[in-house]
Amino acid sequence: MKLATANLMLCALFLTACQSPDIQPAPEFDGDLIAAGKKEIANAPPRNKNLYRLITAVHALKLRQNKVARELFDSAMPSAGQILKSDASTRMAQSLFSPENVKGFHGEPYERAMGWFYRGVIYWMDGEAENARACFRTAQLMDALAEKAEHRADWVILDYLDGFITTKLGKDGAEALKRAQSNAGETKLSDYNRNNNVMFILQTGFGPVKKSGGDVGEELIYDGGHSGVHSIRVTVKDQLVTVPIFDNLTHQASTRGNRAMDMILARKATVKKTADTIGDIGTVPGVVLADFEDTREAGLTLLGMGLIGKFIGGSVEPRADTRTWNNLPQHLSFASLQLPMGKHQATIEFLDRSGTALPEHQKSVILDMQTGRDTVVFVADQ
Amino acid sequence: MKQAPIALIATALLSTLACTNINSPNGPSVTELRPGERGFVAGLGIESQDLVTISEKMARGILGAEPIANAKGKPVVVLESIDNDTRFPIDNDIFLTRIRVALTGNANGKIQFVAREHIEKLEAERDRKLAGQVTGGEKIKGNQFKGADFILTGTFKAISSRGNAGASDYILYTFQLINPDNSDILWEGFHEIKKQGKDDVTYR
Repeated sequence: MKLATANLMLCALFLTACQSPDIQPAPEFDGDLIAAGKKEIANAPPRNKNLYRLITAVHALKLRQNKVARELFDSAMPSAGQILKSDASTRMAQSLFSPENVKGFHGEPYERAMGWFYRGVIYWMDGEAENARACFRTAQLMDALAEKAEHRADWVILDYLDGFITTKLGKDGAEALKRAQSNAGETKLSDYNRNNNVMFILQTGFGPVKKSGGDVGEELIYDGGHSGVHSIRVTVKDQLVTVPIFDNLTHQASTRGNRAMDMILARKATVKKTADTIGDIGTVPGVVLADFEDTREAGLTLLGMGLIGKFIGGSVEPRADTRTWNNLPQHLSFASLQLPMGKHQATIEFLDRSGTALPEHQKSVILDMQTGRDTVVFVADQ
Repeated sequence: MKQAPIALIATALLSTLACTNINSPNGPSVTELRPGERGFVAGLGIESQDLVTISEKMARGILGAEPIANAKGKPVVVLESIDNDTRFPIDNDIFLTRIRVALTGNANGKIQFVAREHIEKLEAERDRKLAGQVTGGEKIKGNQFKGADFILTGTFKAISSRGNAGASDYILYTFQLINPDNSDILWEGFHEIKKQGKDDVTYR
């Protein structure tokens, strides 16, 4: 009988030892971010493909491969009105024995807003200002789920660009500018000049990163992003404009408040902790009692219950989904100028708190003006 | 009774072995629908069933409008881009194209549309003819591109909201037939749709 007990204990130890981390080799990288990204997308499980599409789309945008970026955003993001429905993976995400990240990746509201923001920028680059404005409005709506009313739909740049495009289309954009200024607080936003025909979409730094918190990883918390940039100066020939930071993504991510999913994860965490406690209480005394003839039956019962507790505790997966769109910026900003037709060189300087240009961040772009549409350029300091 | 603890432990072991992969090898199947049907991926936005319903309704309204119904000869109608003031990016021409197709199919030659959106290509072809680069120049007498008797255009406006209770979008589609000589609105039709939905709890 002692042999049987020892065998059972070995099995139990074997089960509890099955917790080795999932280590995957780093992908090969030959310097082509788009090719590497596409390889990641191809190799990723279906639930993660959207994440890699979004990451690769931003690389493409930075490399001015707008067609690639557009295709990737279109395949990664549901249409503007699509409802994210329940499916097998979302049901698994809610079940006790699967972590949240088994569901298909659509990001948290700040990530969804950024997807629509970038999509709008690409529409604007393609000369479709109305569709760009539609995307900026959808992006703002993604933020309407924030728990506290003052944080709902409070992206400055989205309302600002909504009003700017409305003004350029010959309508009144004043209401959107008013909303943007209200959310910008003490940061003074420029009035619209509908004759401006060059748009600089600017971003700086590294955005927030998700990590799990709580006793058993059931909470979603954010490591703040960072950027030393406090304003941005754009110079083209004798024209110069300095613009403030419009939005901070760490602020947007961390002011979302509790999610509906957090309640589900909290319940899972309670089950896990209770089962672990039962496992701790039952296993060791059970082994001790099982060693004596008189108490063997009770000991084995206690051991069995303890092992079941351990098994359930070890199987319950309350971990929050920490998959992060990891090449988002910390800050967004915007500048515009009126320039004559032709080619121009623009210099973009990123300034620190004291107004000193950070030389390692400086960028230079060639503006190729086109008749009948705005010239829209995307500039990132990283 | 002696068997009970062993049975409990055996159950735990079997449960572990029973864990299976959730990723099904079967991809989604393809279902062909009529454009007027509401598909299983229907959302809150502007969709094909809206396009079909609205364009058919507007085409009927235009054909019954007094300036078209009582027009002498075939009035020339030019389509102008729709003003999309919603949160939904759209292909700006698709509604007008669908209305034009519905009108052309039902108007029995009462309306003449002109391909103004291709004017640059048409001008280039005419110039090639006039220059003798291609045949047919002798048939062209002066400027034969027709001006519009009516302009057909539209505006989409929306009220959109989103919260923990769900998302809602109301869209008002309006179309106008305008006299370009005096800006009179000769006919106006509208259609309104409100849709509500709620994301799965795992995405809220």
